[in-house]
Amino acid sequence: MKKVSFFLVTLFVFISCNKEDGVYVPVSINLDLPENFPELAYDLDNNPITEAGFELGKALFYEGKLSSNNAIACAFCHEQASAFTHHGHNLSHGVDGAIGLRNTPPIQNLAYQTSFMWDGAATHLDFQPIIPITSELEMNETLSNVILKLEADSDYQEKFDRAFDDGKVNTENMLKALSQFMVMMISSNSKYDKYVRGEEDVILTTIESDGLNNFKNKCSVCHATDLFTDQSFKNNGLPINPTLNDTGRYGVLENPDDMYKFKVPSLRNVEVTGPYMHDGRFYSLEAVLDFYEAGIVDNGNVDELLLKVDGTYGISLTDYEKESIISFLKTLTDNEFLEDERFSEY
Amino acid sequence: MIICVNLKKNKTKFKLYKMKLLKNIFTLLLTVLIMSCSSSDDNVEDLTGQTGDVILKFDNGVGDQDFIFETTYSKSNNESFKLTNLKYIISNIEFTDSEGNTFMYPSEDNVFIVDEEDANAAGEIWITLNDVNAADYVSVTFGVGIDQDRFALGADGQGDFLELASEKGMMWSWATGYKFVRFDGTYSNTTLEDEALNVHMGSVGTSLDNYREITLELPNSVIVREDTSPEIHIKADLEKVWDGITTATFEEGYNQVHTSETQTPVIANNVINMFEVHHVHND
Repeated sequence: MKKVSFFLVTLFVFISCNKEDGVYVPVSINLDLPENFPELAYDLDNNPITEAGFELGKALFYEGKLSSNNAIACAFCHEQASAFTHHGHNLSHGVDGAIGLRNTPPIQNLAYQTSFMWDGAATHLDFQPIIPITSELEMNETLSNVILKLEADSDYQEKFDRAFDDGKVNTENMLKALSQFMVMMISSNSKYDKYVRGEEDVILTTIESDGLNNFKNKCSVCHATDLFTDQSFKNNGLPINPTLNDTGRYGVLENPDDMYKFKVPSLRNVEVTGPYMHDGRFYSLEAVLDFYEAGIVDNGNVDELLLKVDGTYGISLTDYEKESIISFLKTLTDNEFLEDERFSEY
Repeated sequence: MIICVNLKKNKTKFKLYKMKLLKNIFTLLLTVLIMSCSSSDDNVEDLTGQTGDVILKFDNGVGDQDFIFETTYSKSNNESFKLTNLKYIISNIEFTDSEGNTFMYPSEDNVFIVDEEDANAAGEIWITLNDVNAADYVSVTFGVGIDQDRFALGADGQGDFLELASEKGMMWSWATGYKFVRFDGTYSNTTLEDEALNVHMGSVGTSLDNYREITLELPNSVIVREDTSPEIHIKADLEKVWDGITTATFEEGYNQVHTSETQTPVIANNVINMFEVHHVHND
């Protein structure tokens, strides 16, 4: 592990004994950057992580007041045990029984991501929470109303005072705190990670090792780097669901080339983030690999990486290749992250 | 830019020289000199440290008519329109004096929403800038929308603007970005009547940059001093939104402009060219 201290707060205010009274005391948190990961995308200079900022972000993440009925927190659809996805739900749920349009993506390693949401509609982590907070199918609230509710809560006033120099309960500080919490959510201690970093003498079993090789040959162009995504948008040839008729990335730029494209998801903790695909149509990893082998349909814009020499779409996979790839994918499960108390509600 | 720097250096040298000179002069003479400095002679007037207010009045119109909600205005191709919403974001206001020195309003406060609903009885929306460095400015520069540098800051430095933009309906909820301009209403032509008209356009993350800037020469200098509040009356001609540099026809899809890579730059380029300074008041 390479320890990188991102910012140094040397200004220790000597009234730190008054911490409980809501005085701004910037105690920085070091972000441990895994050596097998690419460069951070998030600019920490604009929002240095502090203990109080992180704690505020965590409180907000678990706060129902961010929604119109005061019941739907971010954590409602982002449960830790499922790598912060909505366990078992194909589509996310919102206030008063509303059903969202897509499957809840995990919250992990977001500081490395250059875009967010299945269609990349958010390009800055700070702004991402605005989408679920204001979506009528999710939290159905307005930013100004959230701020009114937080301002009326003396506990939050104190938390904002501690977290930010100006102590203001406003959108800027709320979003910064949420980002501080999310930036810290790095999943990098799976069996695979320890294996590639040569830690704790971890070795892969034969089938896991075969799976890694098969994965590299068949999947890693898109699921690239140790983030397991090249962060591109691809049409992988899923049959169109006429009920949703989700055109994906096309909705962002209205570019016909983007029809049915969705962001290549990371595969970290994929064992626990089912169901799979943007609409959660596949309940198991076996179903996913069966689809890539034989289920792709030509919807007019399928990525040519999936085009085989015989002119059909798909990835040739034997039963053993599928079995081994799934064994390998399970080495990406990071129990330290899934049980990390820093991110837990209680 | 280099010219600006040199000018500033020369100015500093001049000041140093002046200070040396003053040191050697009798106190009484010094007083006289200061008094003469604050006369109308610009060449010796020392404005260091002095600031004043400037008011930008945005006045929306269509061609030779004032803009009024729900009033029908005609445009090219036998089309007409009427609006119920008319808003745009103005940012990065900067002034330039005759020597090329610039004053950029402080970044964190330098973003505004011009909303026709906020207009006074005369149909003007005022932006008041406080603590502008005293000078005689000959041009004003501003942008429509949010530039990439500001967007890249994320929440940092945005203060209450995120809430304001959200309240004003100038943020998307399906995506994270600002609507730089927002025109809602209906349009009609020879065959269609009161079809929906919605222009909600901005940049799309880093993929599509629709921020535009314009510099407007001022017909007479804006004289900013501690005890003045000059006003710059800026007219925005909505006719140019659709009949500007490029003609945009509603029926051909310009009645719904949101994120299209082809349509939004056309509107952005037309919008930035709809502004002109009508006159300047120095009181």
